[in-house]
Amino acid sequence: MILIVGGAYQGKTEYALKNYGLDRAEIANGKTFDFENTEIIKCISDYHEAVKHFIENGTDPIEFSEKLIENNPDIIIIMNEIGNGIVPLDKSERVWREQTGKTGCFLAERADEVIRITCGCGVKIKG
Amino acid sequence: MFILITGGSKSGKSAAAEKIAVSSGLPLYYIATMMPYGDDAHEAIERHRKMRSGKGFETVEKYTDVFEITIPKRSAVLLECIGNLCANEMFSANCKNAYEKIFRDIELLNRKTGLLIAVTSQVGEDGIVYDSGTMEYIKELGKLNARLAGLADCVIETVYGIPLILKGEKLHCL
Repeated sequence: MILIVGGAYQGKTEYALKNYGLDRAEIANGKTFDFENTEIIKCISDYHEAVKHFIENGTDPIEFSEKLIENNPDIIIIMNEIGNGIVPLDKSERVWREQTGKTGCFLAERADEVIRITCGCGVKIKG
Repeated sequence: MFILITGGSKSGKSAAAEKIAVSSGLPLYYIATMMPYGDDAHEAIERHRKMRSGKGFETVEKYTDVFEITIPKRSAVLLECIGNLCANEMFSANCKNAYEKIFRDIELLNRKTGLLIAVTSQVGEDGIVYDSGTMEYIKELGKLNARLAGLADCVIETVYGIPLILKGEKLHCL
């Protein structure tokens, strides 16, 4: 599994397209994906949005992620870093931010490679 | 030696800081700066207590004026976290020049210990424009972090649990 992280609009998806021979149609979006047939998708983007979806549906994001990479060990996961701001006043925003952090730590630990994108430049921080 | 650890929320800052402290073999002190008000604070304090339990830290609660604590010279001090300390000095102690004051306090604290590990946080990267008090806090903490990084022998940023060395040598314990 390859994990690509970074701030919003830093070029994470473009990096994945360019470096892993993907077609745009092969990238599922974590915000709109139905989470069916997860074993056949090559790449999922906006995984931080998927975390929000899991919380709203009462699914544990880490348990889901564990199953996802067990069934699809070569998947590329793209997610934003969202914890580098002021602690949100809204409780559900805080829960999302915390769960995204924990999920990111879990995925990074399991990943074969972690790439961090800043201004379009990818730096391999693991693997 | 002074090590500064920064990173986002839940990015693994404390785990890295504790690992460094424990591997030093020195007597361990933990300066907790979070005021125990509200459910979230209680949850965070409890979670951090659990993480530290069994590692041999002596916990000292100090919300402002961190230089005042008495510790033996040969000791490792984990100060957590500068984000809370900055908010306490600015909003509870009404300090007008928090950035200068906290920098001096940490400099004094650093001279008292064999190893100081300070955990701070990144709060200015969400692009949201907040009220003037919050904007002032973002500014003071940003300036403080930059100045502390100048003083530090080693600066580490954690990204989803991965420690990145921003300054100094790679630490073998991480």
